[in-house]
Amino acid sequence: MKLVGIVGSNAEFSYNRILLNFIAKNFKKLVDVEVLDIKDVPMFNQSDDQTNSEVIQNLNNKIMQADGVIIATPEYNHSITSALQSVLEWLSFKIHPLDEKPVMIVGASYDVQGSSRSQLHLRQILDAPGVNAIVMPGNEFLLGEVYDAFDEDENLKDAQTAQFLETCIKKFIRFINVVKVIHAPEGMQDVSDTEDLYATGAIDTTVEGIDMSADDWLEQAAEATQAVEGNTYVKLNRGLLTVNQLNHFLNSMPAELTYADSNNQFLYYNHNMEKEDMLAGRRPEQVGSPLAECHPERVFSGVSWVIQQLRTGKQDVVRTQVPTHGPDKFVVHSYQAVRDDEDNYIGINEYVQDIQPIIDWYLEQTGQQLTGGGVDAVSGATSKVDTVAGATVKS
Amino acid sequence: MKKFLSILGTNSDYSTNRILLQFIQKHFADQADIEIFEIKHLPAFNKPEDKTAPQEVQKLADKIREADGVIISSPEYNHSVPAILKSTLEWLSYTNQALIDKPVMLTGASYGRLGSSRAQSHLRQMLDAPELKARIMPSSEFLIGYSLQAFDDNGTLKDQQKIEELEQIFNDFIHFVDITNQLVNANETHQKQAANFSWETN
Ligand SMILES: Cc1cc2nc3c(=O)[nH]c(=O)nc-3n(C[C@H](O)[C@H](O)[C@H](O)COP(=O)(O)O)c2cc1C
Ligand SMILES: Cc1cc2nc3c(=O)[nH]c(=O)nc-3n(C[C@H](O)[C@H](O)[C@H](O)COP(=O)(O)O)c2cc1C
Repeated sequence: MKLVGIVGSNAEFSYNRILLNFIAKNFKKLVDVEVLDIKDVPMFNQSDDQTNSEVIQNLNNKIMQADGVIIATPEYNHSITSALQSVLEWLSFKIHPLDEKPVMIVGASYDVQGSSRSQLHLRQILDAPGVNAIVMPGNEFLLGEVYDAFDEDENLKDAQTAQFLETCIKKFIRFINVVKVIHAPEGMQDVSDTEDLYATGAIDTTVEGIDMSADDWLEQAAEATQAVEGNTYVKLNRGLLTVNQLNHFLNSMPAELTYADSNNQFLYYNHNMEKEDMLAGRRPEQVGSPLAECHPERVFSGVSWVIQQLRTGKQDVVRTQVPTHGPDKFVVHSYQAVRDDEDNYIGINEYVQDIQPIIDWYLEQTGQQLTGGGVDAVSGATSKVDTVAGATVKS
Repeated sequence: MKKFLSILGTNSDYSTNRILLQFIQKHFADQADIEIFEIKHLPAFNKPEDKTAPQEVQKLADKIREADGVIISSPEYNHSVPAILKSTLEWLSYTNQALIDKPVMLTGASYGRLGSSRAQSHLRQMLDAPELKARIMPSSEFLIGYSLQAFDDNGTLKDQQKIEELEQIFNDFIHFVDITNQLVNANETHQKQAANFSWETN
């Protein structure tokens, strides 16, 4: 998910800039935040239209392409700064990039109340018809007495404050998803908000403190957990194999196997081929990523729907056929719920197979032939195929 | 005769708030000497390290100090006041704090029905901030809705009832200026305290 953070101050030194940089740095596991400065934006003047200037067009484009906007506002004389006001005037005059854009407000100021009054003003301004942003309600993040809030490394000194900020950011991610649902085209029900595809939560087995998106998540996580490998024995139900044997065994399966846990984190695939040669391409660096980062956004709703079926137990397996591999293949994606001994949903086993060779073998062995609608016999695909087709890993 | 400074809250070439201030200037010429100050030449505020006011800002501050009272007329931009007026107030609060204890009357004009009422409420809250601390005339402001249609070709308010309302408010303001200035003079310690307030040295 891509956000832009707008520094609501044009001062050379700004605590609100530090705050946004902190958010970008500290929560990059959750969101990708690009911090934008407004220092070079000219004073608004309706008699001297500079909408087409580079600096305003840059803001315009960045905002339009973002999923949401975080505005960090100081408080000047109980209101927002003239610099921020001017930006919002440009962005509501001839162009309207904030129209229906999810916005989260944060703010830092000297007063103990920490910009509470300017945040209120900002809400009212963002609500004006020319701006028409969708501001996340509640969750006011106010940083008062800001001159004392950051350490030398520009990190928030107070852990509780940082924790609350994280809660606000997570809520904003959900808020953005909810807004997407509200604004989805009529008739098509978007259910992407039913699943936390960004894996912002944690379960017992989540390896915490490691950037899920890191290319070497596996190496880092293995080190952190002191994971065994190689010829070390692992006791299984029921049997004893070395890690190497286990790897070779899984790699010999006639299917591409993928495991994502109930926190929607992609944890494993049986890596025995390069991405280009796979039916549903995966890259080694993707391991560890939240499911949201493995799929294009347009299929979030479909992915969420499938996971919900499994999580809630409505179905134990959801199958879908992906027809883009040509006539000599019949590629089926099966999403199988993984449950523990108490029948709790703990994750998803996606296995992708070309079942055509099996069908051919069956026909050959039994001397039977397919007639008419043919593949109906094996297609377990439901009417939901369309919703989930394409729910494959993004290249 | 009173001496008032009126501040036009916009940098726009064409402004119905300017027409309103010009009307006020003319209509009350026998009661007060009213100068209209244009803020469009002021640089944009950017919290400079040295807290000195640029020349244009100092000029405005001097005029405010010399005046018995100040009239601010503000358009409404996005339910608030234009950035250029905010910037002006930031300069005043950050440098010379010339508005402290100054009697202020608010007027406003907007194209829509509400006549900039939301901008006025923001403006009041701003003028009440510790570095501005103006003495705003309570519970009265003069607002003109549908301002594009409100004046005739000579810049005279078309609606006679509106003119009477304005006369009433202006009359109140003259009394308010007298009372406030007496009060302020009698209470100089308060003034000193307020004048010493600064966000940056707290
Ligand atoms: C003109 C001006 C007015 C200010 N008014 C307020 C105010 O009303 N409330 C407040 O808490 N701080 C006020 N401050 C102090 C700001 O909180 C402080 O400058 C803060 O550092 C601004 O955020 P920034 O560092 O991101 O620019 C004011 C500062 C200036 C320059
Ligand atoms: C960026 C921008 C935002 C505006 N927002 C508002 C608004 O929120 N409410 C309103 O009544 N008029 C709004 N207007 C329209 C008029 O400018 C406004 O009514 C103004 O008060 C007219 O004053 P003037 O004739 O002195 O410029 C907006 C204009 C601009 C350029």
